[in-house]
Amino acid sequence: MILAGGRGSRLKDLTKKVAKPAVPFGGKYHIIDFPLSNCANSGISVVGVLTQYESVLLNSYVSVSSRWGLDTRDSGVFVLPPREKADADLDVYRGTADAISQNIDFIDSYNPEYLLILSGDHIYKMDYDAMLSFHKDNKADATIAVIGVPMKEASRFGIMNTNEDGQIVEFEEKPEHPKSNLASMGIYIFTWKLLRRVLMQDMKDDNSHHDFGKDIIPTLLKDNRKLMAYQFKGYWKDVGTIDSLWEANMDLLERSSELNLEDNTWKIYSENTNELPQYIDTDADIDVAYITQGCKVFGKVKTSVMFTGSIVERDAAITDTVLMPGAEVGEGASVTRALIANGVKIGKGAVVGSPDSEHILLVSKNVPEGAVVKEAQ
Amino acid sequence: MSRAFAIVNSYGRHTDVKGMQDYRPVSAFMFCGRYRLIDFALSNLSNSGIDRIQVYVGQNPRSLAEHLADGRIYNLNAKRGKLQLLFNQDSNENDIYNTDVAAYRANLDIIERAKQPYVIITPGYMVFRQNFEDFLQAHIDSGADITLLYHKVNNAKEHYRNMNILNLNRQKGVKSIENNKGTADERNISMSTLVMSKDLFISLINKAAKTSSVYRLIDIINDELENLDVRGYQHKGHFAAVYDFRSYYGANMELLDVDEAKELFSDDWPFYTQTTDAAPVHYFPGGKAHHSMIANGTHVEGVIENSIIGRDVTIMKGAYIKNSIILGHDLIGENAHIENQVIDKWVKIIHAKEIVAPDDDPGYIRREDTL
Repeated sequence: MILAGGRGSRLKDLTKKVAKPAVPFGGKYHIIDFPLSNCANSGISVVGVLTQYESVLLNSYVSVSSRWGLDTRDSGVFVLPPREKADADLDVYRGTADAISQNIDFIDSYNPEYLLILSGDHIYKMDYDAMLSFHKDNKADATIAVIGVPMKEASRFGIMNTNEDGQIVEFEEKPEHPKSNLASMGIYIFTWKLLRRVLMQDMKDDNSHHDFGKDIIPTLLKDNRKLMAYQFKGYWKDVGTIDSLWEANMDLLERSSELNLEDNTWKIYSENTNELPQYIDTDADIDVAYITQGCKVFGKVKTSVMFTGSIVERDAAITDTVLMPGAEVGEGASVTRALIANGVKIGKGAVVGSPDSEHILLVSKNVPEGAVVKEAQ
Repeated sequence: MSRAFAIVNSYGRHTDVKGMQDYRPVSAFMFCGRYRLIDFALSNLSNSGIDRIQVYVGQNPRSLAEHLADGRIYNLNAKRGKLQLLFNQDSNENDIYNTDVAAYRANLDIIERAKQPYVIITPGYMVFRQNFEDFLQAHIDSGADITLLYHKVNNAKEHYRNMNILNLNRQKGVKSIENNKGTADERNISMSTLVMSKDLFISLINKAAKTSSVYRLIDIINDELENLDVRGYQHKGHFAAVYDFRSYYGANMELLDVDEAKELFSDDWPFYTQTTDAAPVHYFPGGKAHHSMIANGTHVEGVIENSIIGRDVTIMKGAYIKNSIILGHDLIGENAHIENQVIDKWVKIIHAKEIVAPDDDPGYIRREDTL
């Protein structure tokens, strides 16, 4: 079950009309392609996607299950927005746990032994099947994937404190003085029978936030259940802000990027577009870039990522910049340390962003010819 | 529902592409880095609302069968539409027996069962954009028995050798059909694309078979020009035919011209093809490209100039590629200098450092070769 209902409001205008999991990433992908491809590659064939905020695009996107090869018999991607039921009124998902609770009937219909819960807004590649084996081998009631983060950043995360066997003894949400650096990745495997019981109780609890981190995990710990930490090593990023989204895109430029989208044994699948291969013009100058199908480059592209159909015109230059799908940089314009949103046009000769800015400049409206834009619009 | 069903051919009589054709029919050739030639015919049909399509597959059908699958990539209606791959047993004794007429007759029952009153026949080895619904309507409005699509060219002395040309009268009636022997520059090149009623089609293929075992459909039409009203319909826009190695090379390279490419590709007329979920192109330090088209999945650490690079190609440090077409999944090793080459799939250039052919005679590197 992929939790994909959040707005991701720190992504500002990028999530004004679409939910965060539908935000484009890495030239040709959407954020939700990552958990969906991971499921497909891990042999998990039935996936529910819990949507809520601005879900029209997201619903239609994920419902084409053939994109991830999840369209064979007994498999499928199920779009699960809140719904009215015979014995319950229509209600929004009140929290991450409530989103699962409201779909107990759906989960029961598959009679699973285990339930994998994922977040729809992280960038990483992971074999969930290996995590499930770990869960089974440890006869755990729940297993939570964790990743080591730098100690000084640990207070930004939900931190798991474990004993020497890797069993979780304490969970602290954004602790001021963290005792460990093992951050929860928001990836859980539960033994379904137990989780089902806990969710049924949680639904009736008026004081609960109906949230996995705030309510369900603490309840399980209080009940002395066996919660294991599954330590993940590799690339993982919560692209929650413009800066971190930009950074994750820039990470793709590294030669030995841990994410390595070019590994054909663990492909990230996405929608098929009918664009020509990229065209690089005679006078174009490329200096380290990640450029996808449908792009056209006539000017200079330096340490930048270009998404489907984006264009850099003659004598224009982009540096340390992300051009989202269909963004266009007009003749002679220069763009530095910026993230240009879908379809935004930068007019001829405009100057956008600056090399010494503290934050990455998000440009979500067209920039007129010759304009100078240094700060957020 | 369209009033026509369609037939797509994968080979013409005079098509002979050295090397590449040993591995797949011309219609399955890679084109512009990510397409196969047949994508153009099938996308034209699909975009025209024609969703009953028979594809005649000749020798080496594997790559074509794999690529087309059930036709879903061409946006054909999953329930009403249908893409059929029709195989016929090619004769081994003599290739002259392997005509389009023989293939149609081997599948006559399927042709007879088609519910549409008209048939559109178009080749899978030409590159153009054409709304076939307009073509069909013009045919019906004119009252002609057969309408042939042609493209007017002014360089037929040097190009289009042995392709059919149409001699037209002022009313666009076809006076005669002949082979291009390169005697004049201004010619109407037949695009091997025609429309007629299903009934006439069936009677013509039967007549052709009765007349001669080596007759093709165009031969019997040529014979019948006196008795039938056969007209030409002029195609405008980008047109390329692949009939030999040079024309394959040229058809690719001419689309590096931005204006020429605009004549063929437009947002409102998509050309569909199979996806491979390859990652975007990764340019490393030193990796450059100029006047080139590059498909996804490619790693660029060397320099690419005036070339077309297919999917999943690795171009290592110091490599230099000029005026070349690289079909896909190839490795171009460090400091290799490649010029005027067509490099087939899965080739590794490791030991050879200089593979250069003259400008007017591009070379060909065989599939899966290690050099």
